[in-house]
Amino acid sequence: MSDHNTQDVEDRLQIVTRLYGDRLDDDQLAEVRKGVEGIVEMSEALRAVGLRNGDEPMSAFTPYREEE
Amino acid sequence: MTANDYVFTSIRELSGLIESREASPVELASLFLDRLEKLGPDYNAVVTVTRHLALSQAARAEQEIADGNYRGPLHGIPYGAKDLLATSGGIPTTWGAAPLRDQVFDYDATVVERLREAGAVLAAKLAMVELAGGGGYRQPVASFTGPGITPWDKGRWSGGSSSGSGAATAAGLVPFAIGSETGGSIISPASNCGVAGLRPTYGRVSRYGAMALSYTLDKLGPLCLTADDCGLVLEAIAGSDPKDPSTTQRPFRYDDSDVSGRRFRLGVVKGVADNADESTRANFESALEALASIAEIEEMEFSDLPHEAINRTIMFAEAASAFEEFVDAGLPAELTAPEDRYGLYARVAVLGKDYVKATRLRTLMARNAEEVMAPFDALVGPTRSTIATPLDQEFRSAALHGGRDTMGAVGNGAGLPAISVPSGFSDEGLPTGIQFMGRAYDENAVLAVARAYQSITDWHTRHPADLT
Repeated sequence: MSDHNTQDVEDRLQIVTRLYGDRLDDDQLAEVRKGVEGIVEMSEALRAVGLRNGDEPMSAFTPYREEE
Repeated sequence: MTANDYVFTSIRELSGLIESREASPVELASLFLDRLEKLGPDYNAVVTVTRHLALSQAARAEQEIADGNYRGPLHGIPYGAKDLLATSGGIPTTWGAAPLRDQVFDYDATVVERLREAGAVLAAKLAMVELAGGGGYRQPVASFTGPGITPWDKGRWSGGSSSGSGAATAAGLVPFAIGSETGGSIISPASNCGVAGLRPTYGRVSRYGAMALSYTLDKLGPLCLTADDCGLVLEAIAGSDPKDPSTTQRPFRYDDSDVSGRRFRLGVVKGVADNADESTRANFESALEALASIAEIEEMEFSDLPHEAINRTIMFAEAASAFEEFVDAGLPAELTAPEDRYGLYARVAVLGKDYVKATRLRTLMARNAEEVMAPFDALVGPTRSTIATPLDQEFRSAALHGGRDTMGAVGNGAGLPAISVPSGFSDEGLPTGIQFMGRAYDENAVLAVARAYQSITDWHTRHPADLT
């Protein structure tokens, strides 16, 4: 894992520990770290694919209006 | 025919017997209720047997049919629902999770409503992996009802997360069941249990009243003894629903026309069986040989996208939101599998921009799938890369032998229909499955190929020896 990604893991892990750290013991926290590492690896895989500005998400938002 | 002869009888055959009044819905309900109560615990397949409701619905069906008001092929047929489908009347809906074992709803899921309107008889709420695997389980022991067990070997896993739906159908505890799939949860237990399991196109079946794991990936579908039965059930449960905005306006009518003499064009994803175990690969190759008599078969490839990263990013982000209240209440600590007690926490580490990028890449995935699948009636591949794993073994490492599940990732990410049917047995006597995956809204195409395959093979007619 690159230095950038290692820092990314630490930054994101901080979010988890700030929100839920008091519920996790050391062993669980080590497993959560592995989970965050996996998420950072997924980020890297997504970033490796280039997209154009106009490439839109699959599901478009549809404004709602109740049937009259 | 005696009552016991109705076990392992298809919906198609049972419905004929019911319509002609040779079989009684009340007698059928009693038979399957008894089996659910007696045999269900052997496979950890059942959460709640709905005896009172089932007998009441069966009596109503019997009266309606006697009055000449036959509703169709599901009238008077018992079934089981995965325990993430809301049911009213004080029947618990546990989501497979110990902290929710007393959860009740005051309404029915749309699927339950539609099956009631079709005259089907709800006989049981069936066991499932806790939160449908939302916690990231890695082993069969991930449900407060115990590990799902395949009826073919009491030491092996039923598959998940629709564990009870697969096991109960395979053990002849119900003629059919409803399951759900976000990333393999219908076709995996279908394969491990040796039954047919249909994952419909995303949006084909309303998810109103079903536990949400991933709003844009969740699908509901049937597990049955045959592909033909899957078509009958899908027709009853499909259709738009104002309560579920993801449902399509495209109608579905099951095309059950004769497939004999029909030739198909099938695609095989390059290297699809490379990571499969020996039995699975050998049975897949035999299946291709059999299919060659009814189809032209060609190799094909999807574009090189990070399919699994796309799906998992979407699933993680949506699950983090779907289970926010569950997590904030500290309930993961009460889950059964140790990994599920912390698995949900990491999900908050998915960045918003990554989620959106995954949904944008999903567009490319879906368009590529449509383009490369257009020449084919369906793609074909092994449903799982291994036979059912032992109950005490982590299955994720075994499942792919380190390889990719491209059909599963593209199929679920692009919301495509697929059906798994039995393709043979391993030396240990465990079933293997073959899947047929089609273009969006082409359930009739995958059903036709699967029916044709079942017309030239007899794997679906075999059942565990101790249960027949």
